[in-house]
Amino acid sequence: MIFSERLHCGLLGLPDVGAEVLLAGWVDALRDHGEVLFIHLRDRSGIVQVVFSPESSGTVVCAAAGGLRAEYCICVKGRVVKRIEGTENPGIATGEIEVAATELAVLSKAGTLPFQISEKSMVAGVSAKRDENVSEDLRLQYRYLDLRRPTMQDHLMKRHRVAKVVRDYLDEQGFVEVETPMLTKSTPEGARDYLVPSRHYPKNFYALPQSPQLFKQLLMVSGMERYFQIVRCFRDEDLRPNRQPEFTQLDLEASFIDEEFLYSLFEELTVRMFRIGGVELPRPYPRMTWLDAMNATGSDRPDLRFGMTFKDATDIFTNTSYGIFKQILGRGGCIKGINVKGQSERLSKNVLQNEYAKEIVPGFGAKGMTWMRVVDGGLESNIVQFFSDAERQAILERFEAEKGDVILMIADPSWSLVCSALGQLRLHLADRLGLIPGDVYYPLWVTDFPLFEATEHGVTSSHHPFTMPDRTDFDPENVDELLTLKSRAYDLVMNGEELGGGSIRINDRALQNRIFKALGLSDAEAGEKFGFFLKALEYGAPPHGGIALGMDRVVAMILGTPSIREVIAFPKNRSAYCPLTDAPSTVASAQLAELGLLDLGGAGQVLPGTGEQQDLVDRLSWVSRIAIDVTEQADIKAAVADALNMADLVRDNAGNDEPMFSVVAVENHTRGGTAPRVSEFSQTGEIFKNAPAKKGGFFKVAAVLE
Amino acid sequence: MSDIYTYKNVSSDVPAGAVSPLSGVRVVVQPNISVRGWPCDAGSGALEGFVPLQDAAVITRLKSAGALLAGSSRMSELGFGLVGETTVRALEEGADVAVMTDTMGEARVTAAANGLFGFKPSFGVVSRFGLIGLVPSMECAGLVARDLDTIVDVMTAIAGKDPNDPSMPDEPAVDLASAREGFECPFRAGVVKESMDLLNETEVRSFKAGLARMEAVGAVIQEVSLPGYSLFRTVHNTVASVEASSSAGKYDSVRFGHRAPQGKNWNEMYLASRGESFRSLVKAFLFQGAFFQFEDYGAFEDACRIRNRLVGETMDVFRTVDFLVFPTRRTGHDPWEAASVKAVYESFLLTLPANVTGSPAVQVPACNVDGGVDIGLQVMGKRLDDARLLCAASAIAYTVPGGNAA
Repeated sequence: MIFSERLHCGLLGLPDVGAEVLLAGWVDALRDHGEVLFIHLRDRSGIVQVVFSPESSGTVVCAAAGGLRAEYCICVKGRVVKRIEGTENPGIATGEIEVAATELAVLSKAGTLPFQISEKSMVAGVSAKRDENVSEDLRLQYRYLDLRRPTMQDHLMKRHRVAKVVRDYLDEQGFVEVETPMLTKSTPEGARDYLVPSRHYPKNFYALPQSPQLFKQLLMVSGMERYFQIVRCFRDEDLRPNRQPEFTQLDLEASFIDEEFLYSLFEELTVRMFRIGGVELPRPYPRMTWLDAMNATGSDRPDLRFGMTFKDATDIFTNTSYGIFKQILGRGGCIKGINVKGQSERLSKNVLQNEYAKEIVPGFGAKGMTWMRVVDGGLESNIVQFFSDAERQAILERFEAEKGDVILMIADPSWSLVCSALGQLRLHLADRLGLIPGDVYYPLWVTDFPLFEATEHGVTSSHHPFTMPDRTDFDPENVDELLTLKSRAYDLVMNGEELGGGSIRINDRALQNRIFKALGLSDAEAGEKFGFFLKALEYGAPPHGGIALGMDRVVAMILGTPSIREVIAFPKNRSAYCPLTDAPSTVASAQLAELGLLDLGGAGQVLPGTGEQQDLVDRLSWVSRIAIDVTEQADIKAAVADALNMADLVRDNAGNDEPMFSVVAVENHTRGGTAPRVSEFSQTGEIFKNAPAKKGGFFKVAAVLE
Repeated sequence: MSDIYTYKNVSSDVPAGAVSPLSGVRVVVQPNISVRGWPCDAGSGALEGFVPLQDAAVITRLKSAGALLAGSSRMSELGFGLVGETTVRALEEGADVAVMTDTMGEARVTAAANGLFGFKPSFGVVSRFGLIGLVPSMECAGLVARDLDTIVDVMTAIAGKDPNDPSMPDEPAVDLASAREGFECPFRAGVVKESMDLLNETEVRSFKAGLARMEAVGAVIQEVSLPGYSLFRTVHNTVASVEASSSAGKYDSVRFGHRAPQGKNWNEMYLASRGESFRSLVKAFLFQGAFFQFEDYGAFEDACRIRNRLVGETMDVFRTVDFLVFPTRRTGHDPWEAASVKAVYESFLLTLPANVTGSPAVQVPACNVDGGVDIGLQVMGKRLDDARLLCAASAIAYTVPGGNAA
């Protein structure tokens, strides 16, 4: 058969009736009616029904078709015919026609499938039965089969469309796609780097880029003016369900621009991207300062698809006699609340007090929660009797309360704790009460972030140290002043998720120096870490700024998939492991030796997890968590060799007796009483006397996980 | 700190006027038995700086019987082998009796090498509560002293059920009072013919001298067979290393012991701390145990099957004889110098069977002597037959041949 004549299954229709066609693809499903065999033939474009019958196909072809199984790769020749009325299948695009086969070639057979691939029923009005419980790891292990599913093919093709829209639009706007290196220098900032050992420079490492930040700024210094890249980035971070060790960013930088240029550019760009998923985003996107976002939602990525934004109630209680509030306000604290409109039916006293106040809200870090249900004639609560009439009235007005509402307040000496706990409570309630509308997309810009955050020793950058501050006349040694500085940074947020962010950068070497000074970095330290970049700022760096957008996350949102793994062809699983290739894996010690890495752990230190497979002693050292040094190797090897001999000896002499683990009868002794015994030594604290490290009332240990 | 004691008790006075069974008896212990307030590192970095909060059951009983706790000696790491062990020197310097953990024959071999009495009681009659052990199914509190009476006195004080030691079986207490009563001779003593293969010429001559003395005091010697005798060593080594690896799991550098300075995460903390805590002899033993635990558990089970068979064979032999006799130690295998697991086992070959089978065994000096070299006479009894065994030892040691008891 000549593939150049091949047509696509999913594109056939009534106009093709009568035509001789050549099709190739996979057997999606089969239905055997005795003499007549129907199959769904699937290729990338879709599915068409092919019929094998003695009349149209002849007995030889029919007999060959009898051997077909799901996912055989085949080629079929036949004639397009209109289906008999009443046998159409509206469940597939080609449901009005079918192909009466005249020739069949099996191109490649398929073994037993680990899970079903077909998603389309062969019978009109019946949905295909699919086992939805296929484990994700099994899907990832056989990803090439998983990707045959039309749903997954659609995801990848739409992702391609989204990327194409990005490239087309940015090209129109004069942006140039430039590739930046994957093997680059490790910088100690940010997340952990993935390191790549260098063979030519033993014990030296490249790092995979966490983002092309410095390179894209260098491209601005290079005079490229407008750069973008759809680029892979790598971060060795703690495991999270929706996080990948490698991910794709749309990275963009432009010179001689300001924030308004980027807002406008990115709004138009994201509108076009979301259109691929049939979503029309309203422009312009609202903007919110970071402070307003925190005060209204307790989050720097507010979900504004629903209301329930915060009201500040601090002033209402300035002169309160309610002890807890009085004490908190006396310590400079604040009180914020939300009105859960019309939900008092579903939020009973019991739920509010025993679930939220006692369990859920303390889990968010707050010490407590005040709840009030709005009833006829005022407020109902377990503490409302401590409030004055004026306070009650002020609450009702401030929260625009009506009968049936529930008002929840959190008070704490720390403003950020109030914001964070109430913000989590807001999301928790919205989720529980079903207040989040589906199919709504609420994009917004969050702006005016603090430039610095306070640390024990001074300040650290909230974003990164190259971000332009809102003013430049600050004293780099005045910590209080530094903490009032805002950055010219912006985040694009949608539905409570950060899609991307960026900033206007510093292009003045002197200003950059003062920022490093504020961060407590000496000239020497700054030079050591970023010297190559700082030098570039000395050669006429233009004003510039940029933004980066997480492509995986955005495509997942556009397509409405539950996880970003659904829009990545070959992702790692939740544990950052690849079940398809079994990466990461140990490597042969020869490879490590070539890289000069065998003794990297220091003299005699066993490197956990590397050479285990090669050496029994190393493996035993690892499983029993006992490091050995070079001077011990020989003795231990000899002892383990003896153990191997002993194993042979006991095996040869085992006999048939039951194993005896103790010479006395083992009996179970149940301790009397039912109350747990608390050791007197833990009560007196003596139990810590022998601890090599302790902190407060706890044994101090290393982190459980890195 | 002296080179004999890790801790020497300076306030070891007993209350004046108190009449107690162990009044005036000075006891030296090893630093693997918990004494509240005393350093107790079991000779290991894994217990660096450890000071128990509670007395071991044995200590409580010794104190209430009026014994003077003289101090704790130096010991090998976690009691594996005898390298660095100073109990004998403490006895030379005035202690009357030593409590010494006997896992492979440590108490008996120590006694045999120094012309002393050594006793390993039946497994399960002395509480192990407060003992920082290594091999739970074989170890027990052994005693070393210059005379048998002291051993009987101390045993009387420390034996007996302890609710704090749930591994102790529910069985009738050993009646140690009867150990002081006279003994009906003749008794039948068996010589295991397979054990003779281990002995060199000098050892055979010494042993024959001992057997002759036994016959002279009224014992009937007969040859018996333990077909599995040669497997005692392998069974002991396999089982003990597994139990040691398991017991040493608790040394995690969290609640007590040595913490290595490096270690960013939990695994590194374990790896480095434990690597620095154990010395190479114990490490080698723990690696053997880890091999069986993690790589060949079937071999461990097979060793336990053989152990069952060996216990059965031993029980069968005790149907025809009252006791079994062996030399206690081998010439040319000095346990104080044994630096490898293999060398340690070589030096305890003759004492291992009592530990594998949980039998009581007593070492009697000055019987197996040839050319001035005393290799010790070891008498092993049926489990829980401790009292009769001590009677027989007394008869062997103190009866003047052809006359009355000395």
